[in-house]
Amino acid sequence: MPTGFGWNFKTQYQLCFWEHRDYREWEFQTVLYEKINDRIVRVTLNRPDKRNAFNDRMFEDLATAMHKANDDPDVKVVIVRGAGAHFGAGHDLSSPEGEESPPVHPNVNPTLQDYYGFERRRCYKYDDVMDFPKIIIAQVHGKCIGASQIFAASCDIIVTAEDAQFGIRGFGSQLHGLTEFPIWPLWSNKAYAGRAVTEMSGREAAELGFANVAVPLEKLDQETLMWAEVLSKLPSEAVAVTKEWISGMLDIMGMGAVQREHYHAHLSLQYVHFRPEEVNLYKEKKDKGLKGFLEDRAKTATPTTKK
Amino acid sequence: MSTVIYEKKDGIGYITLNRPEELNAMNDEMLAELDAVLPQAEMDLDVKVVVFRGAGKDFCVGQDLTGVNTYEVLSEPGEHLTIKKRMEAERRRNRRWEYIFNLAKPTIAQVHGYCLGTGCYLAMVCDITIAAEDAQFGDPLLRMGLLPHMPLWLYLVGIKKTRELLYTGCYIDGIEAEKIGLINRAVPGDELEDEVNNLASGIALMHCDALAPVKDAINSVMEARGLGAAWRFTNNMQLVMQQRTMLPDEFNFFKARDKKGLKAAIDERDAPFKKFCEER
Repeated sequence: MPTGFGWNFKTQYQLCFWEHRDYREWEFQTVLYEKINDRIVRVTLNRPDKRNAFNDRMFEDLATAMHKANDDPDVKVVIVRGAGAHFGAGHDLSSPEGEESPPVHPNVNPTLQDYYGFERRRCYKYDDVMDFPKIIIAQVHGKCIGASQIFAASCDIIVTAEDAQFGIRGFGSQLHGLTEFPIWPLWSNKAYAGRAVTEMSGREAAELGFANVAVPLEKLDQETLMWAEVLSKLPSEAVAVTKEWISGMLDIMGMGAVQREHYHAHLSLQYVHFRPEEVNLYKEKKDKGLKGFLEDRAKTATPTTKK
Repeated sequence: MSTVIYEKKDGIGYITLNRPEELNAMNDEMLAELDAVLPQAEMDLDVKVVVFRGAGKDFCVGQDLTGVNTYEVLSEPGEHLTIKKRMEAERRRNRRWEYIFNLAKPTIAQVHGYCLGTGCYLAMVCDITIAAEDAQFGDPLLRMGLLPHMPLWLYLVGIKKTRELLYTGCYIDGIEAEKIGLINRAVPGDELEDEVNNLASGIALMHCDALAPVKDAINSVMEARGLGAAWRFTNNMQLVMQQRTMLPDEFNFFKARDKKGLKAAIDERDAPFKKFCEER
């Protein structure tokens, strides 16, 4: 579909995020792929200077790693963690305009139909993570913000450091991005969409059922390995079928519809008019650079709940 | 009746699982007797509320895994049944849960001791669950390569907790079960019976004709949230699961049981998870 914008829009219905990526010739640049033992693979998101923010390449590397792990018959469990001080800061807002990972710049001006294709790709990635036939554990420390949090949510299990910080800020001060990511209300019966707007610590996330367990940072590696080790003992085909059952249950409970709602809301965001007093990512980025935007956003953001 | 006892007193019907020597494991006989007793309790004009409980030390450890007299309870691998036969069996299994879930009277599960697998499912399909603080809840089916097949897991405790409990198969006590929303309340063991009877007599004061539509209205909300489709989907996934391949290096519960006996097989099943679960 011609867009004049450099994206390769394929079809409305997207291929699986990871299943078609060829890993044989692939050289990982932004993730580390290691086999801890026969049964456990550890993928480390490795852009520490960018706080492991997702750009297109890191999504590609992650997807390729997932395919590689899935094709390896010995592997039962995949751990995903972040290098450096954080798990991940979400989409890389400093990515160039042509990339799909950051919020779409208004100058890009894609057609509505283009934008649909793009948003579907962006949102259904996480469905594909949920549908991954092996167990994925997110090992979270430091910041786990925005897209990084959505990725962690889509994993089977979250093992988190007590002082990790989950949350979504978004690209306008009032908007906080799309905070009603569909998994939230389904995630835990103690959590409602509105509750999830503010940021929360790993400890609180575990109390609310967002994360499975919170441990002191120094024990995080060990705790995660313990989970991986024990879950790697399960019969693999039975795990795949059980995961399929859970994913199907979530579809029945409305996950598909809320995913759709999520990207529709993203679509509406594309047409938001910022008021003069509001912090506007695109304008600020142009006038003051990304750092200037982040500073201004911090001034106007909802205070973090302390716990 | 031997494996299920039905009694009534002061407007309350009591359905007691009665295989205490086998920790009230469900076998075909128990299911048949449950199937006979449920309509009886439902039609009984003297009964306004139904209490499910277990005789002896436990509520129910779940499916009888001996492979003897368990055709309805558990599909054994290697049985050459047609898909139609298998589907009918799965449908009967879930229809039973649906029947209890939709029984036209309030139901209370009074849980003490082990409440595992399908025993836990029985507690989940009751309207209200009251448990002893030291009761043990869990669903270790996946460890045996069986599908944990209760749709209410996701509705009751959410995605992450569901995954955790089903993947690890670890047991949680009544206090934790209350915390995550699996049950209504945990009370000290010696107060359990009084607590349940008190609650049941309270409900029994209500107008019978009002209780039924109220329950139905609540259940219609669950229906709207997809529970109806979920039962059927779960049946199908059970069929799919029966076609799984056990890899040579993986623990095969049925082989172990037939070779070394049930107790040894269960010990072998639980061994890799033991330390992990104890440290929870």
